Amino acid sequence: MDTELDEPRAALVREHLAACAGCAKICEELAEIVDVCKSGDPDDIVPPNSKAMWCRINNILESEIKPELLPKIEDTRRRIWRFTLPQLAAAMVTIALVSSLVTVVAIRNYMSAAADDFASRSAESQTMLERLMAKVGLGDSPQRARERRLAQQNAAIEYWDRRVQDRRAQWDARMRDAFDKNLNLVNDSVNEYTSILQQDPDDEITGEMLDSALDDKMSLLREFAEL
Amino acid sequence: MSVVFFVLPKDISAQRRYSKTYPAGQSVRLELINRSGTVTVEGWNRPEISITASLEAPLAVVQPQSLNDKIYINLIKDNAGRGDVGNVNFTIRVPYYIAVDIETRIGNLTVSNIRSSRVRAHISTEGDITLTNIVAEGVSAENLSGDIFFDGELRSGGFYRFSSMQGNINIRIPVPSSFKLVATAPSTRAIDLGSFAGGNMKAVGDGRRIVGVSGDGSASMQVTNQKGTISFVRR
Repeated sequence: MDTELDEPRAALVREHLAACAGCAKICEELAEIVDVCKSGDPDDIVPPNSKAMWCRINNILESEIKPELLPKIEDTRRRIWRFTLPQLAAAMVTIALVSSLVTVVAIRNYMSAAADDFASRSAESQTMLERLMAKVGLGDSPQRARERRLAQQNAAIEYWDRRVQDRRAQWDARMRDAFDKNLNLVNDSVNEYTSILQQDPDDEITGEMLDSALDDKMSLLREFAEL
Repeated sequence: MSVVFFVLPKDISAQRRYSKTYPAGQSVRLELINRSGTVTVEGWNRPEISITASLEAPLAVVQPQSLNDKIYINLIKDNAGRGDVGNVNFTIRVPYYIAVDIETRIGNLTVSNIRSSRVRAHISTEGDITLTNIVAEGVSAENLSGDIFFDGELRSGGFYRFSSMQGNINIRIPVPSSFKLVATAPSTRAIDLGSFAGGNMKAVGDGRRIVGVSGDGSASMQVTNQKGTISFVRR
């Protein structure tokens, strides 16, 4: 076609094309293409209906690609949910461990908070669990706990104070002086802490000190009621 | 088995002396509740407990009891209903390895040279507490007014509690010592950690409290002085 072959080879090709229909057809198509290319500007070569041609090409491509891709997607999905028995067992063990850990942490958190003197604590030091329980009415807020504790302490103090009043007449002057002096000391502290807590109910240290001072007062009364 | 010894007042205006010695095994402990007067307990290297008491008029009844595992003296119980009872000043020598639990309504308490599981000293009202050369897993010292002095070593896992309403609390321990500390002095904010300052110690609540860890924090120490000071001294 391009007259690039020497004459003996070209004669052999012509002889073959004469005998082979397939090669003859290919040679014919190639010759047509070469002729068209030689005839003018390739940009001017427009197929009769270009849109229809691209649509056909697109359809052919999609029909060839889809059957290959779809099974792959299905495989991936199946792979996500398909576990081997050891994997399932490991997953169950992990879930059990994590949930146990979370439960233990929550219980310890709650228990350690309860072990501290809850009544002397502020809202700031409440655990999440405590706050949640207080909100749903299953637990006390620190203020409520403190009020309840104060009520208990005051009830005990009143009881021991009555006992002391019954007994103090029998004490000698030195014992009475020591008792009164130290009771006043404790009362001063109780009043001071109560006053601070009225202004700042969340003052944790003052809450603790009030609790401690009331315990001291209770002990003092109880120990002198025995005399 | 219990042995009861009575000291009955013959002449209420006179001062009397009382003394008694008990054999002490390894597991014995001393428990004493006094009304008023001083109590001095000293550890010694003998397997016996020697009690000496000086009784001021009006004389108290003293009925020590030697029970299976403790020597028990309770002057409150022994003198119940008696309003007018004089001071009883005790000097008690005990094997250094026994637990000591002493308290009084008024008066000073002194304990020295004890290396045991527990030392407790409690004053209901006023009086100084002096604990010298103490090595115990549990130490508790509390009064309302008066000073508290502790000199000793902290044991791993031990708990140490010092509490006063008014007075000075001084703690003399070796450096380094391992303990977790909560020291609170809400009124004075006077907490001097001495050699233990800095590091993992921090002030909270506007300086009313210092919390932190010294060493590996194997012991726990709680010091509270509502209207007084707290100081740490290097031993």
